Amino acid sequence: MTTPLRRRQVLGLGLAGLGTAVVGPILWDRVQRSAARAQPAGAARLGSRGGVADLELVAQATRGSLPGGPAELLTYNGRSPGPLLEVNAGDRVRLRLRNELKQPTNLHFHGLHIPPTGTADNVFLSVPPGGSFSYEFTLAKDHPAGLFYVHPHQHGLSADQVFGGLSSALVVRGDLDRIPEVAAASETVLVLKDFASASGQEAAMGIGRMLGREGPLLTVNGELNPGLAIPSGGLLRLRLLNASNARIYRLALEGHRMVLIATDGGAIATPESLEELLLAPGERADVLVQGDQTPGTYRLLNLPYQRSGHMGMTAAEEDPRTLATFRYAGSVATLPLPTTLIPVPALPKPERTRRFVMAHAMGTGMGGMKHDMGAMGGGGMAMGGMGMGFQINGQAFDPDRIDTRVALGSTEDWLIVNDDVMDHPFHLHVNPFQVISRAGRPEAQRRWKDTVLVKAGEEVRIRVTFRDFTGRTVYHCHNLDHEDLGLMGVLQID
Amino acid sequence: MPVTSYRSASCGCCKGWVQHMRANGFAVRDVVVADVGVVKRRLGVPARLASCHTAEVAGFALEGHVPAADVKRLLQKRPQVAGLALPGMPLGSPGMESAYGKEAFTVMAFTRTGAISSFSQHAK
Ligand SMILES: [Cu+2]
Repeated sequence: MTTPLRRRQVLGLGLAGLGTAVVGPILWDRVQRSAARAQPAGAARLGSRGGVADLELVAQATRGSLPGGPAELLTYNGRSPGPLLEVNAGDRVRLRLRNELKQPTNLHFHGLHIPPTGTADNVFLSVPPGGSFSYEFTLAKDHPAGLFYVHPHQHGLSADQVFGGLSSALVVRGDLDRIPEVAAASETVLVLKDFASASGQEAAMGIGRMLGREGPLLTVNGELNPGLAIPSGGLLRLRLLNASNARIYRLALEGHRMVLIATDGGAIATPESLEELLLAPGERADVLVQGDQTPGTYRLLNLPYQRSGHMGMTAAEEDPRTLATFRYAGSVATLPLPTTLIPVPALPKPERTRRFVMAHAMGTGMGGMKHDMGAMGGGGMAMGGMGMGFQINGQAFDPDRIDTRVALGSTEDWLIVNDDVMDHPFHLHVNPFQVISRAGRPEAQRRWKDTVLVKAGEEVRIRVTFRDFTGRTVYHCHNLDHEDLGLMGVLQID
Repeated sequence: MPVTSYRSASCGCCKGWVQHMRANGFAVRDVVVADVGVVKRRLGVPARLASCHTAEVAGFALEGHVPAADVKRLLQKRPQVAGLALPGMPLGSPGMESAYGKEAFTVMAFTRTGAISSFSQHAK
């Protein structure tokens, strides 16, 4: 293969002399050593035994330090990211959330196909400070294997809590893990998350709530530029989760192609070799990397990406940033790549098409008040409008309003229209969907998705069948500042 | 004092700033353009200070939701700068009033050579 070699050279030349390598302190290590902690951090992994997963997450503020000064991070069991949760398809899951924060919180089981009601993926419930709640549900025996995501979904506070550090990756073991080539690969889960600096100065430079907050500290599993291993001769299975508030990652691994084997909702049918991978907040991807290059050091890079149309906003980072450094280690028998994975069936013909237009706008008052911007102040908004925020089809989120009613078992096409000057990653709870087309161009391969990046000015058509579960749930922008600022709608499945 | 403002058709907040300027005595020509980036480059707005719309007044560039009071002070003092910028779209700035909250923000001055300094600070 000549392409990987060429790529390595291109990147090698492009980066010469830029000095972008961040060999920084290990962020998490510093937090662990902080004297302010009352208890040691909990286990790094929590799993199930004999078909039952009995898990506990304690949401708490933890004092530690970031490069540049002391900081308070939000943690599960004293960790950010929280413990890696590992369960099997068919398991009974009981997850007790204890809230030791000073504000309400809750959990969303991002990507799981479980009920949106009761003690399952119920984002309308809220756990008060000092309270606790036991989430309980059973995963179907045929629940797809994949990488899922547990994070707070407390409306108005989601962004603060996730940006502050609350998130856990959730691995469901099943079908994909039994494919021999995949099972033989060495597996690493990478939680990608940016943190604000200790000073928080970046917000003053415009990366505030309207664009969605980004931080300059790019961590992988809570560490700055961790060292990771590629098995020499073998296969590395990288399982990537973007747990950031707003940052979109454009990933490339020096000298290597990434072979995509799974997206948000599980395996794809045929592995797909990629040079770059775009990962929006809430999205996941499983890729295989072949350890077939000259043993050495290769950087996982975040390449520049402009997520605000042509406006030039968020263009402050113009150089590639190093996320992690891989070194060849050991030597194993040469492992081939899998050639086929798991079929992704076509969904039935849609019964109807709906259109969802996302934009930022001045909300008009409930009484249809005409805004006079010159006079607009607290008084104007007290008359019923929310003022500036984000909307779907002209309406900001209202938990007491049902925006979309669908029938259980039906299939629909949703045309997601971004009529805004910035990107919006669109996320639907409970049921995975397939992207049919982007900007009118059909997708090359069917994939199970629950979050899709809809770029500024773009239209994306998705298809979804509402299976198995009735109840009330939501769809929203997964730039969590946008979600908190109104870019969310209520879906009722009857 | 005449102001010319350039914005894209789809932006949901630029009109609010135009109205804020008019309410404060400026005569504003509101121009919709296909690519605001072209205007930003012509006026030398540094990429890291970018916002949604861009305007011109008396040879100065105005980037984003700069408050009218800051523009008046700019026109009185006439410092050796190319213009003022309020990067991003801070909640609570003119045209960005919101019941979801307010953010503190700093209006920056920039020169033709790209030097950037703080012009005024606005608390939450
Ligand atoms: Cu958004």
